[in-house]
Amino acid sequence: MSLFGSTSGFGTGGTSMFGSTTADNHNPMKDIEVTSPPDDSISCLAFSPPTLPGNFLIAGSWANDVRCWEVQDNGQTIPKAQQMHTGPVLDGCWSDDGSKVFTASCDKTAKMWDLNSNQAIQIAQHDAPVKTIHWIKAPNYSCVMTGSWDKTLKFWDTRLPTPMMTLQLPERCYCADVVHPMAAVATAERGLIVYQLENQPSEFRRIESPLKHQHRCVAIFKDKVNKPTGFALGSIEGRVAIHYINPPNPAKDNFTFKCHRSNGTNTSVPQDIYAVS
Amino acid sequence: MRGAGAGWQELQLSLYRLKEPLSSPVTSTDETRGLDFGVFVPQRYSCTTRGGGWGASNQRYTNVIQPSAFKSNTWGGSKDLGRGLFGSSDFGSVGSGSRNADFSQNRFSALMTGQNIDDGYKDEEEKLLEGIVRDMEIWESSGQWMFSCYSPMKEKPNISGFPDFSPEELHLEYYNSRANNNNQNYINSVQQLVAQWKNRLLELKTLNASTRTALLSDLKNAVSQPLPSFGFGGQQTSNFGLSSFPVNSSSTSASNFSFKTSSSLVSASSGSTPAFGSRDPPAFGGASSPSAARFVGFGAQPAPSAASFSFKTSETISGLGTSGFSGFGNAPAVNSASSTPLPAFGAVNAAGAASPSRPGAALFGQAPSAPAPGAAAAPAPGASSGTSERLFTPKVELSAEELKQFEAKKFTMGKIPLKPPPLELLNV
Repeated sequence: MSLFGSTSGFGTGGTSMFGSTTADNHNPMKDIEVTSPPDDSISCLAFSPPTLPGNFLIAGSWANDVRCWEVQDNGQTIPKAQQMHTGPVLDGCWSDDGSKVFTASCDKTAKMWDLNSNQAIQIAQHDAPVKTIHWIKAPNYSCVMTGSWDKTLKFWDTRLPTPMMTLQLPERCYCADVVHPMAAVATAERGLIVYQLENQPSEFRRIESPLKHQHRCVAIFKDKVNKPTGFALGSIEGRVAIHYINPPNPAKDNFTFKCHRSNGTNTSVPQDIYAVS
Repeated sequence: MRGAGAGWQELQLSLYRLKEPLSSPVTSTDETRGLDFGVFVPQRYSCTTRGGGWGASNQRYTNVIQPSAFKSNTWGGSKDLGRGLFGSSDFGSVGSGSRNADFSQNRFSALMTGQNIDDGYKDEEEKLLEGIVRDMEIWESSGQWMFSCYSPMKEKPNISGFPDFSPEELHLEYYNSRANNNNQNYINSVQQLVAQWKNRLLELKTLNASTRTALLSDLKNAVSQPLPSFGFGGQQTSNFGLSSFPVNSSSTSASNFSFKTSSSLVSASSGSTPAFGSRDPPAFGGASSPSAARFVGFGAQPAPSAASFSFKTSETISGLGTSGFSGFGNAPAVNSASSTPLPAFGAVNAAGAASPSRPGAALFGQAPSAPAPGAAAAPAPGASSGTSERLFTPKVELSAEELKQFEAKKFTMGKIPLKPPPLELLNV
């Protein structure tokens, strides 16, 4: 992967460099570093679902690849496999049974990677880079949802070259999250749409953005009975909005707060924070 | 962390006490504007933790004392109040459920003592502009991402002159330029964007008469439509002949990214969008519009408000219509030529495409008991829209079971009637 220069701290060079040196500023928390990291910035990370025995981690990177490691209980990682796109990978996710990995890339396609056979096939096509990809598992259907900068949201049966459904977005898709039967998509120009996925995906509500700036990430949270009930939305300002879909008291229950921003550089609020409320 | 949180809370409480205490309960009449709140915002927040899941999270907010956080007064009287401060604002102490209305009245009347409401509106503008100026200052000094849209308040449209670019888009542009050995082009483009951003920011910070009026008209326009610049691609239901993946121009082309400054840039190519769609088996036949009653998966009782569908009906239609339903009205013939309907869609009939014409909006304006349209009876696409256009079913036409379902508080999955509800049962 020498074609692409390393731009991020995480991907700087090979693995042997870090194992042996004394602690430098690079890793003050003494985190365990993944072996054979990608050579360029990492765009997405995902752990395998609990249905799969063992823990596997996939990471997509700007080096056009998506890599898979097995993560052992002591934290050591073993590189397992990788697949390539022809453009930077922007997002990735697992299928619910952990046998497939779906990846979305700037090459305007999305691929399905069968881990057992280590084959990856294209399953989606857009007119612009695909920014988000999610696996939807509904009682009566399963599909892959891709959101793209071509302002569409498409749903794909992985066996067919044409989408099962295409929904128009008001603007480029910037981030999305799916917790069945709800999906939330945030777009450029402060667009925000919630979809319901029962029976088939359809737009449920367009929501006025509670934030003033560009949307950066969104994550759905659940209520006490494990049903999706709202989402958290982050913007480049470092502000996060908590929004309930049907709150008993909207003025009271929906609010925003601002995370402490480190100096200047922290423009992206990591999505992982909102994975669980 | 808990210790720090508690200490911080005490600090906030003591700060609040320094301001005028909320001496009298807020009533829902105009008399509330007589209260002189001084700096309005903080007093509304008693900062007690709410019950439930968010109580414990207050300690997360130890660092939230940012100047911009106090701008929550610019968030207007909208129901989703950007309380902005600490996430735990507890309105419980303030009293009645009508306090939303109070809030919007008070917010602006707090700043003037004894003036009448007309001046209140004018001050609303002033507040807005002040808020914008403050936001600009913060934006400039904070070093946060420059290429972002901006709106001063939740229900206001985005202010022009701030196109939205995500970091990934710029990142990709850079890679493309680098691949073409054209780094300079990228650098120039970005510098140009930065200069434009700075100019616009300066303009807004130092409003003179003309920019001010332009800005105000900017904000007043299209208030009802939150996403004004979005053309709905309703026309994209037309049949696209191609069945295979379209061969786009080289993947490294910056086709979608012309670095124009107008906010309507991006994706000239997407205008013609997907060449697929024509062969989509209209497998999403059956009931398509989101029935409120279906959200068994959603946490709370569904209560869709009319406001949530401020988008006009036509838009919702097109939103559904563009979902690749080639069979949907425009190109009825294509449906039959499409590949086999996806078995994954189970009982959905391939020909039920006529149903999406029924916009969810029409139903959402009604009581939540309105179910999905009864199009699953599989009318042929483009076939007479007689049955599917009907909004209500006469009671006599419903079976006993269907009637029971309609009258029940909630729909039971699997037993949701396929016909529209009778008019009599709707509580609008």
